[in-house]
Parts: sequence; C-alpha cells; structure tokens
Amino acid sequence: MSEKHVDANGREALTELLFQLADDDFLLAYRGSEWLGLAPHIEEDIAFSSISQDTMGHAAMYYQLLEHLGCGSADELAHARPASARRNAVLLERANGPGHYLREPRYDWAFTVVRHYFYTQAKRVRLESLTKSSYAPLAEVAAKIQVELHYHLLHWHTWFVQLTNAPGEARTRMTKAIQDVAADFAGVLTLGAKGTDMVRCGLIDEEKVLTENTIAALAPAFAEVGLEWPMPFGMKHGNGRNGEHTPDLDEALATLSEVYRAVPHAIW
Amino acid sequence: MAAMMTFTRLSNEEKYERFMQRIEAGEKIEADDWMPDEYRMTLIKLIAMHAVSEIMGALPEKEWVPKAPSLRRKLGIMAKVQDEMGHGQLLLRVAEDLLAPLGKTREDLIEDLLNERLKFHNVFHMPAPTWADAGLIGWLVDGAAIMTQTNMLDASYGPYARALKRICAEEVFHAQHGESIILALAEGTKEQKEMLQEALNRWWEALLMFFGPPTADTTGTSKQDITIKYRIRTKTNEQLRQDFFTKYVPRIWALGLKIPDETMHFDKEKGQWIYRQPDWEKFKQIIRNNGPKSQERLELRRTAYKQNAWVREALSAVRTAG
Amino acid sequence: MAGKEQGFYQVFEVFSRKAPDAPMQHQFSLLAPNEEIALVMAQENFMRREPVADLWVVKRDYIRRMSEDEKAALKRLDNKDYRLTRGYGDLKKRWRKYEQQAFDEKEILSWKGEIQR
Repeated sequence: MSEKHVDANGREALTELLFQLADDDFLLAYRGSEWLGLAPHIEEDIAFSSISQDTMGHAAMYYQLLEHLGCGSADELAHARPASARRNAVLLERANGPGHYLREPRYDWAFTVVRHYFYTQAKRVRLESLTKSSYAPLAEVAAKIQVELHYHLLHWHTWFVQLTNAPGEARTRMTKAIQDVAADFAGVLTLGAKGTDMVRCGLIDEEKVLTENTIAALAPAFAEVGLEWPMPFGMKHGNGRNGEHTPDLDEALATLSEVYRAVPHAIW
Repeated sequence: MAAMMTFTRLSNEEKYERFMQRIEAGEKIEADDWMPDEYRMTLIKLIAMHAVSEIMGALPEKEWVPKAPSLRRKLGIMAKVQDEMGHGQLLLRVAEDLLAPLGKTREDLIEDLLNERLKFHNVFHMPAPTWADAGLIGWLVDGAAIMTQTNMLDASYGPYARALKRICAEEVFHAQHGESIILALAEGTKEQKEMLQEALNRWWEALLMFFGPPTADTTGTSKQDITIKYRIRTKTNEQLRQDFFTKYVPRIWALGLKIPDETMHFDKEKGQWIYRQPDWEKFKQIIRNNGPKSQERLELRRTAYKQNAWVREALSAVRTAG
Repeated sequence: MAGKEQGFYQVFEVFSRKAPDAPMQHQFSLLAPNEEIALVMAQENFMRREPVADLWVVKRDYIRRMSEDEKAALKRLDNKDYRLTRGYGDLKKRWRKYEQQAFDEKEILSWKGEIQR
C-alpha cells in the first residue's frame, strides 16, 4: 500500500494502527521514566533508563509517521491528545504501583519486570509482522526498531527468570504479578475495532496469528521457571484500543503534558 | 624474588616518604597500593560524598523527566539524569574499593546516606519548582560541577582520575543539554523568560555555596588544604568560584538575565570578581540535611530502597548459570 | 563454575571491544548479584555512547592482581635494542651496496595490499 493509493478505510486503519503502536511505546516508556532513580540497584537504574529511552524513541518514530500523514505534529500527538483518543493497551498505562514518583513511590518491581517482559515479547512478534507491512514506511521503521529489541528481551528475560526462580517471597510476588499482567494482556494483543481493515489492507497479520506467536515466544520462559501458563488472557481494566482507559492514564497525561500546556504555543 | 621485595619491610615513615615521592612525581596510586590513612580517609570522604551527591542530584531533575515539554526534551533529560546515576555508580565503585579494607560495602554507603551519616552536596537540597529550574541545573549547577571536576582530572588517585575522565566527557553533553533548554527559554515568551529569571534568583546563592567556603575560618572546617597537599586537586575553593564567574557571568548577562547581587562586577585592578558572600550559616544548615528539600528527597530514596529490598534479597543467593 | 554465590553485591570487571578487529579493553567495574545480571548491565553502564562489538564480564575474584611489591617485577633496563628495529638501523646502508631497499616496518606492513610487480 503506497501513500497515494490508500482508500478511506485503509487510511483510517493505518492511522489507527500507528496510534496503537505509538501510544503503547510512549506510555510504557513514560512509566519507565518514572522509575528513574528508584530501581532496586543503581546499575539497573541505568540499564532500565536506556530501555525507556529506546522505547520512547520508538514511539517518536511512529508519531513521526503520523505527522507525515498529516495527523498533527509528533509532539502534539504525544502530549495533547485526551485519554479518549489514546489507543494504547490499558496494561501499559497502569501505574508502577501505589504512590507517586515524587512521594512515597511504592513501586512494584515484580509487576514492572513481568509487564515489560510480556510486552517486549508481544512487541517482537508484532514487529516481525510489521516488517512485511503493505505500508512501506511502517515496514522500514519496524525493521529499525527490531534491532533494539534483542537487548530489551535479554534484559527482561534475565530478570524474569531469575526473580521467578528465586525462592520464597520473590516467587510469590512474581506469580502474583504474572496473574496481574495476564489479566490485562489480551488488551496488548488485540487490534481493536479496526483490526479487520488493518488485516484486509495487509498492514499487519491477524490478531489470532499474533497471539499464537506471542504465546509461543513466552512458553519457553514458563517452562524455565516451572509455572503454569496463565491463561486465558483478559482485558480486566478495559480495551484501550477502543478508547477505554483507567484513571491512571488521566494522571499520566496530566503529568507528561504539564509543561507542554503551561505556555500555549511556546517553543521549548 | 621475595628477598628483593623490601617495601613491606619499610617503616611507616619510610612508606609515607615513598608515597609522597610517588605522588609528587606524578605517579598514580591504585586501590591496592599502600597509602597513609589520612589519604584513604580523605578520599573516602570526598568520593563517597561526590557519589551520593550524584545520586541525590538526580532527584531534583528527575522531577522534570516525566514532565519535559517535548519528545526530544523528554529523551534528553532522561539521558542526562541517567548519566547522573551513572556518575554515582562510577564514584561509588571507587569509594567501595577504598572502603573494602575497612570491611565496608555499597550497602553501608547507602545506609550511611539514608541514616544521614553521609552528607550530600548543598545544591541538591534545594527545590526545583519549574522546568526552568531543570534547565538551570543543567546549565549552571553542571557548569559549576565541571569546574570542580576538571580540577581533579589529574588526581593522584588513579581510579578517581579515571572515573572523572568518563564523567567529564559526559559533562560536555550535560552543559550543552542545559544551554539548549536555557536558550529556548531566554528566546521564548514573556512567561518563559520570567520563569528563567526566577530560577536564576532561586539558585544563585546555592551556586556560590557550591564551591565551598573560601577559608576554613568561614565554616570551621575545610578539606581543601589536605586535598591540595595530596595532589587530589590543585585549585582552592575561591579560585574555582572565580573561574566559574569568569566563564559564566558574561553569558548570564549576555542573555539579559539579572544576577541577584547588585555588587557583582569584575575588578580589573585586582583581577578578580567582587561579589556578595552567601550566608554560610545557612550553608552549614543545608549540608546538615536541614535544607528545604533535604528530608523529602531522603525519604524518597528511603522508600525506594526499602520497597525493593526483596529483589536484592532474592538474588543474593541465586546460582549463576553455567 | 561459580556455584552458589553469597550476597547481592559482587564485583565484576567489564571488558569490551569497539570493533570486531579491536582488542578487548578494560572499561570499569560494576556490582551485580551474578554474571548474567552483570552482563545485562555492562553495556548501558559504561558504553552508552560508543559502539560495542563484544563484551566480557569477569568476576574480580578470578583475576590475579599484582601487589605494590610485585609491580617492581615489571621494570626492566633499556638495553634491549636487539629486540627492536632500531637495533638494526645499519641494514639500510648495507643493502644499498647491493642496490636493494631495506624492508622497514612501513614496507613490510604494506604487503597486505597489492604488490606492484
């Protein structure tokens, strides 16, 4: 599908998909940025921040594709859209834990590890599909992003396996986090209401294939830690692809756009 | 060969003499080398404080990481604060190796910070209520830090000098990151310009304090003489402060900003900057963790440390693969 | 190998190579509970702004280091020019007698390229 030959449905499906991809990475990177300075050990703080930077960089690439399609500037798309217009999975907007990044941050490292590990596997599968996308600029961006996913996977897989295999409290916390993430993970895998059009236009593989491949990617890790597969995946807190979101997203958007909104039309 | 190894048989005075000869000849001392206790303790105090200051210093800017006003600014400040944590890591490693013979580890250092036995730099006790504060920290606090750190690049202690080389290389990015934010504000709307001037007013006194008191009389103690004797640094606090003025005051004025000290000027005859001394009593209070944000930031760090204790505990006994 | 390690804070030395044909270089040290975590931390802690073609982490305990006394064993006299090209500086002149060029370092290392016939 070239830019010139997009029918109206195709174009809507394309922007919808790009918003899903951009918002997913943007919100998770934002949650990662809140962790900065608070991780379990200093070396990890630094490694994790690189992953959050990479991920926000990926979001920026998708927002730029949207900018080229005339949807508004990348910064505006990232900062100024209301919650109802966001297309990220609810799992990725959820707070890191109780508290606030500046006050009493009772952040949950187990939830963070499991969320990132699950998401990164799903992202890898999705990118593989996107490299064959009929929309060439998206296929090119996907191939670029793939390069950085190897490190993200190695990093989160290491934490996932080591903490889940650790005795006592850690395994209990990780098992609970797995249940928690699985309860919203279907929201990451779904393509939302426009999914059929996306597939018809050859933008991405169908949801069923993406889901199967993601499960196949996660399965070996579950064998490694000797845990039952946490099926079925749910959308406990809503389907973000259809604009259903939680108060966590409102809070995140208020924070991340605080300065952006402070002086309208200013250059920062 | 053992018979030829005489160093261990030297008396402490002879060892000291040899040590001083080595550093005066520009040789580098390594972690496992013999060193006088005073040298070790001076280094530990200096480097541990430098390390935790980097880590506590990440916090005022961290407030602005999620809030930065564009994608590029979000990425830039994330990378900058990440570097601060990275500097903390490098310096902690240097301090930890010096502490190892005393049976102390990182855990002790972090606990000393949280229990307020280990102090951090005065500037990081101050509030950073606007985005302009984030920019100003990057521009002037980092500028001041570059002054003090480049002054120690040839430090006699090899591991510290090597850590500082890495740090100073990154400080160049920090300086430019800060300038970029400041220039955008200085060239921006009326609100942005005001925001910048207010941030400068807020930070000026803390910036003067950054270099420490000019003499020991001012606050009762000063480590500057010992650090110069041991070739850890070369310039005095006052020389560094004057260098900072020389590099930064003209730029501050050039942007149309007002320095909140009407006496500030360069005296050509004396060849030095004339300025109003900050309130050194306040400085003493601040570094005793009685600054405006001292307790809040320590509490943030305590919460995070406690909250993640289970992770460190869990992996304390994990089998390594292979 | 390492077996059961005690404590979260183990010291690892980090080495990396900038390019596939570059030597391994010591970078810095970090603390990690085991070598897997150490490996995952290494690049982002010390090489955020430079290329890395390969990476090693080594537990510091496994490195035999020198004491201050032992470092004396590293010193030697400067009387070994028989090991160096500068000990063979007369060759240039002697080959001239046979109307031949001396093969110096520059000449010999140039042979990796095409040789003019």
